[in-house]
Formats: sequence, structure tokens, C-alpha cells
Amino acid sequence: MKLTAAQKALALAFTLGLMAGCSSTGDTMGEEDGMTTSGGETSGQESGSTVYGGEDGSGISSSEMTEEQRREAEERAMEAQEQAMREITTFYFDFDTAEIKPEARDVLVAHARFLQANPGQDVRIEGHADERGTKEYNLALGERRANAVQRFLVVNGAARGQTETVSYGEEKPAVMGSSESAWSQNRRVELVFE
Amino acid sequence: MIGHERDKGDEAQAPWKSPVVLSVFLHSLILVVALAGWSWTNPIKEPPPPSISARLVTPNDPEPSRVVDEVDEPDRDEERQKAQEEQRKREQEAERLQKEKERQEEARRIQQQKEQERQRKAEAERKREEQRLAEQQAAKEKAEAEAKERARKKAEEQRRKEEAARKAAEEKRRAEEERRRQEAERKEREEQERLEAERKRKERERQLRESQLEALAEQAAQEREAEEQRRKEAAAAKAKQARMLTESEKYKALIRKQLEQSWYPPGSATKEMVVTLQIGLLPTGELASVKVVSSSGNTAFDNTAVSAATSLERYPVPDDRDVFEKYFRKFQIGFNPENVR
Amino acid sequence: MRQGKHTVGHQFPLLITVILSLLAAPVSSDELLIRITKGADSAIPISVVPFTESGQMPAGEKISTIVRNDLQMSGEFDPLAPEEMLSLPSKGSEVYFRDWRLLGQRYVLVGQVSSSGDTLQARYELYDVSQEKRLAGATASAPKSAARSLAHHISDRVYKAITGVQGAFSTKLAYVTLERSGNKSVYRLQVSDVDGKRARVRLESDEPILSPAWSPDAKKLAYVSFETGKPAVYVHELASGQRQRVADFQGLNSAPAWSDDGRSLLMTLSKDGNAEIYRMNLANGDLKRLTNHWSIDTEPTYDHTGKGFFFTSDRSGGPQIYHKSSDNAEPRRITFGSRYNARPRPDATGDFVYYVHQRDRSFHIARTDLESGEETVLTRTESDESPSVSPNGRMLIYATKQGEDSVLTVIAADGGAAYSLPASSGDVREPAWSPIVR
Repeated sequence: MKLTAAQKALALAFTLGLMAGCSSTGDTMGEEDGMTTSGGETSGQESGSTVYGGEDGSGISSSEMTEEQRREAEERAMEAQEQAMREITTFYFDFDTAEIKPEARDVLVAHARFLQANPGQDVRIEGHADERGTKEYNLALGERRANAVQRFLVVNGAARGQTETVSYGEEKPAVMGSSESAWSQNRRVELVFE
Repeated sequence: MIGHERDKGDEAQAPWKSPVVLSVFLHSLILVVALAGWSWTNPIKEPPPPSISARLVTPNDPEPSRVVDEVDEPDRDEERQKAQEEQRKREQEAERLQKEKERQEEARRIQQQKEQERQRKAEAERKREEQRLAEQQAAKEKAEAEAKERARKKAEEQRRKEEAARKAAEEKRRAEEERRRQEAERKEREEQERLEAERKRKERERQLRESQLEALAEQAAQEREAEEQRRKEAAAAKAKQARMLTESEKYKALIRKQLEQSWYPPGSATKEMVVTLQIGLLPTGELASVKVVSSSGNTAFDNTAVSAATSLERYPVPDDRDVFEKYFRKFQIGFNPENVR
Repeated sequence: MRQGKHTVGHQFPLLITVILSLLAAPVSSDELLIRITKGADSAIPISVVPFTESGQMPAGEKISTIVRNDLQMSGEFDPLAPEEMLSLPSKGSEVYFRDWRLLGQRYVLVGQVSSSGDTLQARYELYDVSQEKRLAGATASAPKSAARSLAHHISDRVYKAITGVQGAFSTKLAYVTLERSGNKSVYRLQVSDVDGKRARVRLESDEPILSPAWSPDAKKLAYVSFETGKPAVYVHELASGQRQRVADFQGLNSAPAWSDDGRSLLMTLSKDGNAEIYRMNLANGDLKRLTNHWSIDTEPTYDHTGKGFFFTSDRSGGPQIYHKSSDNAEPRRITFGSRYNARPRPDATGDFVYYVHQRDRSFHIARTDLESGEETVLTRTESDESPSVSPNGRMLIYATKQGEDSVLTVIAADGGAAYSLPASSGDVREPAWSPIVR
């Protein structure tokens, strides 16, 4: 539970990089952590197929690489990492706050860059609250969270026109139940790429 | 003192009659009397000293009232009357003595007139005697010889008379001594009597004072007792009142408790609403009457109060009839909710 | 009174008055006075004797049973079960007060119901047992189809006769139910009697429905529906089923509240950046912004004057109740008791404001005395939401969790006995108590 989203993202990226094509591992992890959404499975497969194709050992061919090749490889690795980070589309909040947690920032930056790179891509930012407190206040709280994420994306390169916010308040919980675990998973913002 | 007073009185009456003159005169008179016979020799009986009792009265005069005044603040009527009575008696006594004195004075005055008369007569007698002596002188000269014998007899006679006079004087002196002795005795007796009277007076005063003190003490004791009695009665009354009050408080609390359990203040009740009921009870605790004496203005509210008051089958009331009559035969209940708006 | 006599100037009557009062004063002051400052903690014992019936009765619950349940629900009455009654009188002459007194009853309601043709007639009489006095009695009639309305009407009359307060048993409830089956959720806006009976669905949607609010004439509901994928405010005329989407701006469109005249709505919009309170003129859609703060301002509701309004704001950090006495007045904070107080609902008299109150980790319904500022927590349940006060101010309905589901509970407005409404199925939330319609 102590693993932050960024740490998880990095871990995921490394796992994917070292065990290319082994998609099941990431899925299991994601499910265990209860942090991936329905889109996770397909993108996991995608990343599995795109990162580090071939089975030649990296140690053998590296000495033969040119500087250019090396940079290209780094960029590719970076891109792969960001793409892996973009697997993360749900961001969590503390009770009655709309403060973006530090571990979510890199991921959101990745999303912002992606949106910047793909002006035709729109995103719907859905704000949610847990069931505690009043429905109308939670509706406003969900919106505040969505707005916070929207501002962050715009500041980091996305165009406002690509974004749309909506708050569901406490109406659409991710997890049913009245436990601290359920509540913590329901206080969230979800990015929905359409 | 007594003699002095009397001397003064004599001087005032006849200052030229000093005792010496009187004595000479008396001696002459005695001589005459002796010549005339013994019928006049009775000494003048001194009148009894007139002022003895009056003098005894005086010290008694102002003393008792002082004691009374001093001790008896409440100024009792009886004692004042007694004092007045005594005063009156003293005054009567003084008056009586005065009269007596006057009477004696009168007697003495008559006596003196008689004396003067006698002296005047004696004077005339003496003049006649001188006349007669002169005639006798003539006769004597005529009969000298026989006179010598007669003179010798007469001298003898004279001597014998002188002897008698001396004896008489002696007698008189003795009488005087006797009188003085008697006087001293009398004075002694009087002094004794006076002291006795003084003692008695003091005793009386003491007794009076003591009886007064006793009376005062008794009165104080009675007052204390009465006060004690009053205090006891007050304490008893107070105790009873307190007991009744305690008893009434106890039943008041019981009634309050039952009413609180049976009163359902309506939803419209507010803190400002007060309804007061007049309750009449029978000694059994049964409700005899209930009446709204001051309404809250809210019918539903008043109704719930009356309902509560009438819902008690039997009011808890004390067995003590006094307490019941005083507090529970008729009383009031005020309904005024606090835990509402 | 006496001062009046002073001014009249008749010395003689005045003198007599003074003397009389002097004579009277010591007597009355000597008299014992017992002051009663609190009543029974328990509810009022009342016996609703089953009404005798003649003629063809409509199906369903008996009139007297409905009345008994109504009184029970109010929390102020404790009706005796008919099995415990010693006799079953149906008119005043048959009431033996001694019997009811023995049973500890304070009031007895007796009656007869008869039907002729399509009409149902009820004769009822209410007696005060201890005073042995008739408090109310009447004959009421209704179409057979409105048997429940007839019963609620009798409940109202009985309630008024005893408490002096208008009954609220003939009013309605609006609420939202949620039924989940697999991935699919069905939201239903429903309207029922206050006892939860005669419920009718007015709107059904796969998307959330929130915040139903009654118009002052109880003919319309305003609410928030997500049916277009985002929240919008609708006004729904119940009789005709006609709907109008009155607010569908960018961002939030939520928390509608009617004005006294029914011509405008307060609502929360975030079209200008964040959640602020606006007033919308329903005739022309004109908006007036009433709050302006970077914080969340929402959940507006008019106060009893119809001029000021309460709302929730987190301008102090967490959500708290504020009041604005007019459009331009400075907001005044009402709640201080804990760090979370939201969704104010004032009563009709302006005495109290009710709201959701967090204490420790639980959410309760609390109220604050607006005069004294004193706060009272009214509920013992947890996760309590959506308080709504009955129009007579005597009852309170709210939603609370029961296991996974939410249920509606009615309590006496001062926190007395609770009464759970039988939920039709699934999750019931967002109750709204209708005004009294005469």
C-alpha cells in the first residue's frame, strides 16, 4: 500500500521492459492494486508488443551501437516508459481535498504530453467522491478534483479544448462498500480518452 | 444642746435675767420663803424635754425614699404609697410635737407670769417689810436690851437657818446632781434608743432592700421562666411547622414526579407557555376539583395539563391531617415546560 | 387592568380593588404551588380502536390501522395494540373510561366506516380519557380509491386536536431509489404518501437522479438528472408529467431550491469557474449570482422569511453552514460544532436548521437552534444523509445506511423515536417532504 503511483508505474515499466511480452504479470499486479481500469488490459498487451522487440540479448549488440542509435534507443525507452505511465488513468485523493498527489504528477505530465502530441485526442475528466458527506457537496467536490486535474493537464501542454470535466459526486463508486479501502478507491479522478 | 436651746429661749424672753441675778433673787426668795414657810420650796419641775421625739424623727425623714429611689426603678405604687403614708405619719407626728411644744411653751409662759406676779407681790411684801423693819428698828432701839437677847437668839436662829439653808442648798445640789445624773442616763438611754432605732431602721432598710432584691430576683426568674416557656412553645411551633413543611415538601415532590410522568406536553408547547390549575383534593387523595386559573392561551397545551392532573387515580397525600389541610386540600399546579423552545 | 382603573379616576372602585388585592395576595401566596417543568419521556399513550365497518370495503389496510401507523410514525404517540384492548367501542357512548384508564391510555379514538357506492364515509370521535371529555369528532368522506387519504386526514385531525399542531400525514414524499443489477443501475424518482405507501415512479434513468425539491404548491418537482451524461436541473410537473430542463450549463447544474412564490429556483452552477449559488427566474431563465468565492458554495435553501438563504460552503476549510439574510448580505457562519456540517434544511418557523453533521468518523443529522446557537445531534445511526423536515416542523426524514443499502427513517424533529419506512426495494435516498397543501 506504501507504493506510490509513480513507483508502481516505474515498476510496471521495468517489468514490461525486462519481461517483454509477458503481459499477464502486469495485469495481475494491476488487479491486485485495484488501480487499473478496464482499458488496462488492452494497453498492457499493446505495450508488451511494442517495447524492445526481438530476443537478442542487449549486452551483445550494445557495443556495436552508434551514438545516434543509442539516443534513439533512449528515446524509445522513454517513450515506452511514458506510454506505460499513460496506462494509469485514475488518480486518488484524500478525504475532502482536490490536491493532486506528488506521485500522480509524472503520470499526468505523460498524459499532458500525449495530448499535446495528439491534438485530435479529447479526454473526459470524471471527478468522483466517496459516499461520505452530502451528495451535492460531493458533486462539487468531484468537480473540484476534475478541475484540478484539468488545470494540471493544460499547464503541462494539453489544450483546454481537448478536455471536458464532469462530476458524478458519490454516484458512481469504483468499489462498493463502506470501508476505508473502498472509500479511498472511490475518491478519484478518471481520465477517459475517447 | 437641750440646755442651750432652753437658755436661748430664756434669754430671748428676758435677757437681763442672767442666772446670777436669778440665783441671787432665788436665794433672796428662798430666804423669804424660809421666813414665810416651806410651802414654796418645791422646785419647779422641769418640763419634759420637748424635742426628744422630734429629734428622733428627723434622721428618719429623708432616708428611706433614697433607697426606694435608688433600687426600685420600676417605681412600684405600693411602695410609693407606703412611703407617702410614712411621710404623712411623720408630718402628723411633727405637727403633734409642735403642738405639744407650743402647749408646753404656753405653760411655761403662764408659769413665768405667775412667777412675775409672785415676784411683784414679793417686792411689795419686801417694801412693806422694810417699812415694818424700819418701824421695828425704832422699836428695837427702844428695846435694845431685850433685843440683844433676842439678837443672840436670833443669831442662833440665823445660824440654825443658815445651817438649814446650807442643807437646803446641799439638798438642791444633790437634787441637781441627781437631775444631771438622770439627764445623763436619759441621754445615754436616748442614745441607746437612737442607736437601736438607727439599727432597726437600717435593719428595716436592709430588709426592704433585700425584699426588693428578692422581688427583683423573683421577677427576673419568672420572666426567665416565661421566656423559656415562650421559647419552648415557639420552638415547638417551629418544629411542627418545619415538620409540616418537610412533610408537605415530600408529598409535593411525589405529586410532581407523578405529574411529570403523566404530562405529555403537546408539540406546540413553548418555554413561554404556563398554565396554572387549581386542584382540590379529598383527604383520600382523590381529585375533588380541577380548574384552570390562568390559561397559557393555547387550548391544546391547557388540555394536556388538565389531562395530566385528572389522570392521577389518587394523589399522594400525607396522613397528617394538619399538613393535608394546610397544603393539599387546595393547591395550584403550574405547567411550564423547560426543554422545549 | 389595575392601571386602567387608575386612569379612569374613580377613586372608590380603585380603593376597593386595592383592598381586595391586598386581601387576596397573602392567601394566594400562601397556597402551595407545584411547578411542572418537564413531561413524560415516553410517547403519548393512545388507543385507536379498530373502526367498525359496514358495506364493501376497499382492499388494503383498514382506515384505523393507517391512522394508528401514522400516529406511531410521528414518534409522539404510542398506540396500543388492538389485542390489548379490553373493549372495542365504536362510538362515544360505548367508551368506558375506567377501562382505558386502567390500560394507562390518555386518548381513545373510536369510529365507524361505511361505504355506499363509490363513497367511503368515516365517523370518528376522539376522547380524553382522564378528563372523560370529547376532544374532536366528525364525519369525513372520500372516494373509495382515496381510502388512504381519508385515513391520513383523520390522523391529521387527531394530531391537531391533541397537540395543537397541524398534522402532516396528508403530505407526500419524493425520493430516489437505485436498483443495481450487474453493471446496470436504474435510478427512479418516486412520490409516495408519508408512510411510504402509494409510491409512484415519476422518472426512471440509468444515470443518477439527485436532489428532488418540491414546489410550494406541491405540484412540481425540481431535481438534478444525469440522463444526458452530465448533471442538469429539471422542473417536472407531476400531474402532466411535463418536464423542462431549466439549467444545463458547462460544469455543475445542481441543488435546486424553490422560492416561496414558486417562480424562481436557487441552484448551484459552476459555469463561471467553481460552484457558486445563483437564482434563476423560471419565467425567463435570467440568472443572478448570489455568492462569489473561490470555495465550494452549494446546497442553497431559502430561510423561513423567503428572503435570505442557507448554504454550504467550505470557505473556512471544511464544509460549514452559512446564512445570508439577503442577496447582498455578508454570509454568516451558523455551524461550528465539527469540521463537517452540510446540506442545511430549515424548518418553516425559522427556529431550527437541520443538517448533516460529522462527529468522529460518523455522519449524523444535527440541528442548531438559530436563536441560541445550540447544536443537538439527533440521530444515532451512522452515514446519515439528506435531512428533510416535515412542513409542521415536528418530524424529520433522512436517509441512512442499512448494510449496503440506504433506507429512509422518520424521527421526531427533536430527536425522538425513529420509524423506518418500508423501502420498496434496493437503495432509497434523497427524501424530500412536501409542503402541506390545503
